[in-house]
Amino acid sequence: MQEIKRKYVIPGDIVAEGNLRPLVNVFRIGNSIVATRIGIAESNKDGAKVIPLSGIYFPRANDIVIGKILDHSSLSWSVDINSCFNAHLPAQDIFGRDFSPAHDDMGSQLSKGDVIVARIAIFDRTRDPILTIQDKDLGKIPTGELIKISPTRVPRLIGKRGSMIQIIEQASSTRITIGQNGIIVVSGKDKEGINLAINAIHIVEVEAHTSNLTQRIKQLLNVPESEIENDDTKRNHEINDTEMNDDKAISNKIDKEMGMMNSNGTK
Amino acid sequence: MSLSKKSTIIVENLRKKQMIESISAGKRLDERSLDETRPIEIELDVIKKASGSAWVKLGKTEVVAGIKVETGEPFEGLENSGALIITAEVLPIASPHIEPGPPDEETIELARVVDRGVRESEMLELSKLVLVPGKIVYTNFVDCSIINVDGNLFDATSYAVVAALASCKLPVFEIKDDKVVDTGRTQEPPITTIPVSVTTVKIGDYLLLDPNTEEEACMDARLTITTNSKGSIVAMQKGLKGYFTVDEVKSIADKAISKGEEIRAILKEVIHHGKKE
Amino acid sequence: MVQNRSLIDESGKRSDGRIIDELREIKIIVGIIKNADGSALIEFGKNKIIAAVYGPREVHPKHMALSDRCVVRCRYHMSPFSTDTRKSPAPSRRETEISKVIREALEPALMLEDYPRAAIDIFIEVLQADGGSRCAGITAASVALADAGINMRDMVSACAAGKVDDKIVIDINDTEDKEGGADMPVAYMPNLKKITLLQLDGELNSNEFKTCLEEAIRGCLKVFEIQRSSLIEKYFGDEKGLNE
Repeated sequence: MQEIKRKYVIPGDIVAEGNLRPLVNVFRIGNSIVATRIGIAESNKDGAKVIPLSGIYFPRANDIVIGKILDHSSLSWSVDINSCFNAHLPAQDIFGRDFSPAHDDMGSQLSKGDVIVARIAIFDRTRDPILTIQDKDLGKIPTGELIKISPTRVPRLIGKRGSMIQIIEQASSTRITIGQNGIIVVSGKDKEGINLAINAIHIVEVEAHTSNLTQRIKQLLNVPESEIENDDTKRNHEINDTEMNDDKAISNKIDKEMGMMNSNGTK
Repeated sequence: MSLSKKSTIIVENLRKKQMIESISAGKRLDERSLDETRPIEIELDVIKKASGSAWVKLGKTEVVAGIKVETGEPFEGLENSGALIITAEVLPIASPHIEPGPPDEETIELARVVDRGVRESEMLELSKLVLVPGKIVYTNFVDCSIINVDGNLFDATSYAVVAALASCKLPVFEIKDDKVVDTGRTQEPPITTIPVSVTTVKIGDYLLLDPNTEEEACMDARLTITTNSKGSIVAMQKGLKGYFTVDEVKSIADKAISKGEEIRAILKEVIHHGKKE
Repeated sequence: MVQNRSLIDESGKRSDGRIIDELREIKIIVGIIKNADGSALIEFGKNKIIAAVYGPREVHPKHMALSDRCVVRCRYHMSPFSTDTRKSPAPSRRETEISKVIREALEPALMLEDYPRAAIDIFIEVLQADGGSRCAGITAASVALADAGINMRDMVSACAAGKVDDKIVIDINDTEDKEGGADMPVAYMPNLKKITLLQLDGELNSNEFKTCLEEAIRGCLKVFEIQRSSLIEKYFGDEKGLNE
């Protein structure tokens, strides 16, 4: 197996020397690859990158996000997606092509303060992101506990192929909707299960960079021992689990996971 | 001119619904009961360059108050009394919703309400802070910097002012050859009472003490009551577009007196242990 | 009879007991402002300064946005009780200038092209002022920017050097600033080895200037070590495992 070298870095630190490919959160200067964020640097023969531990959510097309309706104009809703740009949800997305501000009452569909789960349909940095709620399991979220975590911890919370979040959902009998922007809604029948899930999510957030995290979460949630052994024996460093490779890869993967999670749900 | 304005903080509807459900069951979203205030932490003498100072944490709301003493002319009509000037600034470091610039009407109201509570309680015996009657008096500035906002700035700022004043050491000025000189010595401030501000807000039909930011974003009306060490009311301020019934006001007043007593005990304890050297 | 009281005594001790190449005590705490995206409290001698960063976030008003890069807004402000005589809370000309030079000292380290049409706000509040508050402010702001997770080419570390009693000394304090010969604040990107702030008041000849600059940079590198350990402490705590 290819060896991955890891270390803790702050901006300006050298991640690796030599002819490696700079991946994410690094830049090349001379023969060195330098970190631009606080986080865990990883390098192997494919290249060098930093998994950041702080920072806001920067939108990407196809990401699933959870947003809050701020207001609406006659043609679109303005949505807070916990990012440096407010997003827009066009009225046509809900009313269809023949939407007319004169006949259709936007307030009847979504009003200020409503929470939605949406997909970023278009974002190219030159304009604010455009959302859609026209896919399966997207739309207004009527109930649930809303929590906010650092968007940098979202991949760890989801885990490899959704492993971490599935453990939490199953053990706490809850349904967890995760936005790539760090907004999460936990819903379920009993308060105890919800609190258990929220507690587990916060532990993942704080301890995202530490080893054997899955195991500790399983212990917290009282998942039987036998399952622990099956899973993690080979890995001492679980950052492996989360392949934070390239932008597109992540968002596609999460898309699938979101779909999967939601179809497990009780909607 | 004062304008009604758009709220800057929008609480998610699902969160608001939860809050109302929770409050109606007697518990708030942060697990407090309705009349429970957040923990108060006070560190005194944090600004060595000031005559007195306090860093107060009320939950996640944080305020630093510092005292500077100068001499100057007395205010008109108050020729035989020292001057007390209380200011407040909500610093832009304190919240994503603050724009740098001159204080807005809310910040001015904040400083004035805190000032009124301290002034009307006659906490500081200003008649003892006169150098030349009618001409030169002690001018006491208590400036407050709000450094993190999580609701109830009125009470947090008031506690910071009271703690800084009660624990300060005032400089001793003297007149020599018709000039004011700072002797370099210090004196105990003439403190007569410990005023305590208690703020209650109304959300729906429920009354809550010590609101956080999220609760403030949902409140209809607010009432701040300051009591002195005797348990008398010395200042009040009602705020926002909602209303209170007569019975509500009476019960808020009773609560402000009893809660004020508890908080006064906390303030006294801190002041007793942490006076400026 | 002593005309000018000497700022360095026979044993080489300065007015606050330091030797010429010694920094004042520095402490940095990361994440002190709970509402901010990034923040740091720095105690640098008697300076007590909070830096908080918000952003990248929406620009208000919208027409201030730049289409190809991020807008940086910076405010350096002193609380009224921070100085010996009370300072009026309204911003002074001095604070306005310092806000500008601090912004320009930090901007070279920020990868602003990564956040077009957005804004980064840097607020620096001086709760207690001592000599060198702009350097301490830059140092804290750089830590706050890293804490906020903004893409940076490097950290920015700042320290002054100057001339006191005809000797070049590092990290000028308040007394030395007021009574000494020259004060030269420098901000420096420690890994890229680039200077991003350079000011001077006072007289230095060519040789003195060169020594002074080298000394200031040496100071910056010491400051950088403290910035670094404060961030590592906040993010990785005792888990030093990976770096061993």
